[in-house]
Amino acid sequence: MAGRRVLRVALALVATVAGLAVLAAASAVDLPWHGANTAALRLAWSAHPERIEVCRAPSKAEVEALGEHMRQRVECDGRSATYALRVRVNGVLVGDEVVRGGGLRNDRPMHLLQTYALWPGRRRIQVEFSRRERATSDSVSGTSAAAPEADTGIFAGRAAREVSERARRTRGAVPPLLTLDTTLTFGPQQVVLLTFDADLRRLVVPPGRMR
Amino acid sequence: MTRPRRLRLSRPALAALDAAANRLYGWRWNPLYQSGTVAVVALLILLGTGLYLLLFYRLGAPFASMARIDQDVWLGRWLRSLHRYASDAFIIAVVIHAWRMFAQRRSWGPRALAWVSGGVVLAAGLVEAWTGFVMVWDSFGERLAREGARLFDALPLFSEPISRIFSGEAAVPGAFFFVNLFMHIGLPLGLGVGLWLHVSKLARPTLLPPRTLSWAIVAALTLAAIARPAPLGDAADPLRLTINTPINLPAAWWLPWSEQLPPLAVFGVLTMLVATFLLVPALTARARSGTLAASFVDPRLCTGCNQCPQDCPWEAITMVARTDERPTLVAQVDPALCVSCGICAGSCAPMGVGPVGYSGRDQLDALRMLVLPELRAAVVAPSVVFCCAEAPASHRAALRARGARVREVRCAGNLHSSAVELALRSGAPGVLVLACPPRDCAGREGPKWLGERLYNDREAELQPRVDRRRVRVGTMAAGDLRGTLECYDQFARDVSALAPVVPASELDLTLECATAVPGAGGDA
Repeated sequence: MAGRRVLRVALALVATVAGLAVLAAASAVDLPWHGANTAALRLAWSAHPERIEVCRAPSKAEVEALGEHMRQRVECDGRSATYALRVRVNGVLVGDEVVRGGGLRNDRPMHLLQTYALWPGRRRIQVEFSRRERATSDSVSGTSAAAPEADTGIFAGRAAREVSERARRTRGAVPPLLTLDTTLTFGPQQVVLLTFDADLRRLVVPPGRMR
Repeated sequence: MTRPRRLRLSRPALAALDAAANRLYGWRWNPLYQSGTVAVVALLILLGTGLYLLLFYRLGAPFASMARIDQDVWLGRWLRSLHRYASDAFIIAVVIHAWRMFAQRRSWGPRALAWVSGGVVLAAGLVEAWTGFVMVWDSFGERLAREGARLFDALPLFSEPISRIFSGEAAVPGAFFFVNLFMHIGLPLGLGVGLWLHVSKLARPTLLPPRTLSWAIVAALTLAAIARPAPLGDAADPLRLTINTPINLPAAWWLPWSEQLPPLAVFGVLTMLVATFLLVPALTARARSGTLAASFVDPRLCTGCNQCPQDCPWEAITMVARTDERPTLVAQVDPALCVSCGICAGSCAPMGVGPVGYSGRDQLDALRMLVLPELRAAVVAPSVVFCCAEAPASHRAALRARGARVREVRCAGNLHSSAVELALRSGAPGVLVLACPPRDCAGREGPKWLGERLYNDREAELQPRVDRRRVRVGTMAAGDLRGTLECYDQFARDVSALAPVVPASELDLTLECATAVPGAGGDA
């Protein structure tokens, strides 16, 4: 009887230890994530799309029909540009995407995040990021030197401010065409990041590795 | 309606597992019976170890602080491992608990809230584990974070895709780790609310296992943490493609599959899983009629003693004002809360409450019709064994083969003490009641109330005139046929050593009880 009890306790202990071993093993099971001999090119940036507008100067009658606080020297209507992204590795097209701004009207900043798996080694990388619309941005038609008489009174200095604002917006937007043609060396398991430098206004490969 | 095959298989599979655990640990220490309370113990370990680890966690350097905890902090590595293993134990215990409730058909009707809230607790536990692993910010944490970001980005929730955080353009912002930590600390509050909802419809919920088992669980997990500390993966690096990551299977078993599917497919599968889980109470529901009808109260017999509301494990009975001129209150059963366990039938001395066919009067009638004629006709009357209907059929068959007269009751707590007395008065040398293990009782408190009624004078108590040496309560656990038979054999030996029973003239127990109640007939 006592022997059976000892055997039972021993079995219970063995089962407990086995259960704990299974628990500990299941707690950290090595499972593959990426291939052993892979690398990647990652394109990542955020930028404002260009605004494509058609502008006109309203007539005097149209201006006077509005309250003073609502009068505009130039009225613009338009939409945000869309972009075509083409990525070639050693001349082979690996990515061909249309990139739009965020939001329902696509007028919010566009966020690009694309990763292309590659074999490690030296690769020629060609990236082209081009505006798909032909129209010139911020085109102002029919403003005829911006109606100087309107640039007085409460409009004083407004023309200059508008020009400055348009210039700022254009500078903030991604250029109509971005290209990069370079040769990069990809180490095993290495991700090479390619991004848009808003100050230099061109595509760059940042030198440092981030956390 | 034919039950799907997987529904029919789940119960035998659970019984087989229970049987194996009973053989190893005995029914008193079978952790499978304690799955719900084991989850609570794991949760308490998580809270304790988590608070300690939090002291050393740094939002600005998550992986570095984890590495420091692992290497420099006093007990850091072991407590981190204990935290990890407790989280695994929590998830496994909750899944086993859900399986048990499903297999034992305890997931519908009044138990639907417990089922749904249990599902919420499990989901919250999985999300909690997710945030915990991301906090570590090793390669597994990065993998989880990337997958989460990929899934969230498919939803029109954020103006900027979350995945951009992990592009490697810039360091992962501290705000991300702050939100993650906030969730990791905040979710346990949600778990607490879920747990409260889970037991809100129970009277006297049991939240912890027996103290010895609680400490045994703590000790076992601590030993595992010391013997095999949970490994820390490589530091997360957005600009490096990690080949292998140490995945935590209990919390992230879904990850390798999820990564292969488009986000919408993942959401589709998730929606189906959640919908199926939520529909289980409806899919497994059975008609509340016949033996599953709610208990009824015969107001003519109810003396307003207030015992059945105290004994009901589901708080389904309340005392309300009577509509007749009698000065007492009368019991009222809420069918929406009653699970037809029949425990109220065993609590009522005048036998005025219980499920259809299982009230005290029904038990006496059945004994008179089916058992007593056999006892009287036998040269040597056999002992009567009352078994819970949930008990293994093989045990019942083995007892019959031993010569016992086996009579099933819905639950040990359903057995009325008058049935025990009637069997003895009719010539049975002894009455053995074999109940399920207390933590496996479908009626929750059947064995507990049975013992109180037979031995401690709880209403409806076994009368003092009954020889207690001829009455015994045992436990009938799956996989422990030897224990069941030993219990019966020992009882039979003890009873045979007593003087032979002379059958008393049968009292009309029903009438005896009913005459105390004005206006009630003996045949009511």
